[in-house]
Amino acid sequence: MAHYSTSQFKNGMKLILGGNPCSIISNEIRKPGKGQASNKVKLKDLITGKTLEKTFKSGESVEGADVMELDMQYLYNDGSEWNFMDPNSFEQYSINDSAMDDAKGYLVEQDMCVVTLWNGSPISVTPPNHVMLEVVDTDPGLKGDTAGTGGKPATMNTGVVVQVPLFISIGEMVKVDTRTNEYAGRT
Amino acid sequence: MTSLYNFSLKQKAEIFRKIRAFFDSKNVLEVQTPHLLNHPTTDVYIDSISMQVNKDFDIQSKYLHTSPELEMKKLLANGSGDIYQICHVFRDNEQGSQNFNEFTMLEYYRLGFDIHQLMIDMSDLFSVLGLTQETTKLTYAQAFSTFTDIDILNSDFNTLKKIANSYDLCTDFEWIEDLQILMFTDLVEPKLVQYPLCFVYDYPAEQSALARVEGRVAKRFELYLSGVEVANGYDELQYAREYQQVFAQENQQRSKLGKTTFSQNLDFFQQLKNPLPQCAGVSIGIDRLISQINQI
Repeated sequence: MAHYSTSQFKNGMKLILGGNPCSIISNEIRKPGKGQASNKVKLKDLITGKTLEKTFKSGESVEGADVMELDMQYLYNDGSEWNFMDPNSFEQYSINDSAMDDAKGYLVEQDMCVVTLWNGSPISVTPPNHVMLEVVDTDPGLKGDTAGTGGKPATMNTGVVVQVPLFISIGEMVKVDTRTNEYAGRT
Repeated sequence: MTSLYNFSLKQKAEIFRKIRAFFDSKNVLEVQTPHLLNHPTTDVYIDSISMQVNKDFDIQSKYLHTSPELEMKKLLANGSGDIYQICHVFRDNEQGSQNFNEFTMLEYYRLGFDIHQLMIDMSDLFSVLGLTQETTKLTYAQAFSTFTDIDILNSDFNTLKKIANSYDLCTDFEWIEDLQILMFTDLVEPKLVQYPLCFVYDYPAEQSALARVEGRVAKRFELYLSGVEVANGYDELQYAREYQQVFAQENQQRSKLGKTTFSQNLDFFQQLKNPLPQCAGVSIGIDRLISQINQI
């Protein structure tokens, strides 16, 4: 894999650090009046999800990571693995439970997700920003209540629990923001 | 009309008027020195912008000055007395949001001053310019001991590498000064934001540049305004042979880093046949200074 010099660093670039693929979140260059310039780089470890900060001297090279983000359709879960399909190549990918992380609470069959591949193998899944989920369990609704007066927990068909307004009842479809796990409306 | 730095043309002109009035009142002479030089800087991490010019059908290599320092020192060695200059300087390969290939510099020299007298003089100048906040003074070692538990003057290269590793900093350097500078930039500089005006002085001898060395420390200072480096001052070296030594060492370091090296600036050494009078000098980045004045 190619090496990248600090002068080529840009946000979103994927590098190998500590053996794991990482994505650059921010890159700050510092050049003292006297002395060598350096780069302070914030990265996200794509395996652990952790954010780390590294300092490089300017001109240093770092190995790039062969990371691709592909739009894939979620097909089904066979109990141990989650199956996706690349709609362009019709190639199917199976992802095991551990790499799924929080994504599994938001996966609806046929929805398009972003699957991150490292050296051709899936390492993480990002669901769409908003998904429609069915409420399968919540306390009885209160008539006349409007949003903004607190809420109540509701369990969705995917298993995730979301705080919803009091007027929502079992069987309704609600829109959930997958980045914040917040209720985002009914349609 | 505002520029990138968000100050008006009028304000910049007003600042220049005040600077000139300040030096007039102290009998410091305004000078202008050539910007187009025969010799580039040998500074390891500063690069001159070079160009080809034609004179009498002859092609010559010339370099834009990165600082008026050496040209002004020729004047000092030839009896100019106290001098200052406001000029644009030019540097190649600059990077970062606070660095530009061209910027405005105020450079001045006071005879018989040491760095401490010069720092007081600068505080007077800054209060004329509207920076009346309290001034903080920290030695380089104090700055480290205040914000970290690193004994910077008494840690050798290997010790520093171990410490830097524990902070997840890069340690792949040829020379200890580069690591000291990185640690300062990463561990100390962000903490200096709390001081409106902070002088850091007595740098490790390895970072002496063109400043006089006394034991473990170089008689050098930098000024930070709310964490932004704005000025760099020295107790100046006086003798041609001292300069010769520094330039030779810088050339060696450049060569080791695979950078271009340069022939000796013989003209400069000749002009320093008489040594510089004992003096202290400082260069101040005017654009950064004005942007800091506006933020306070």
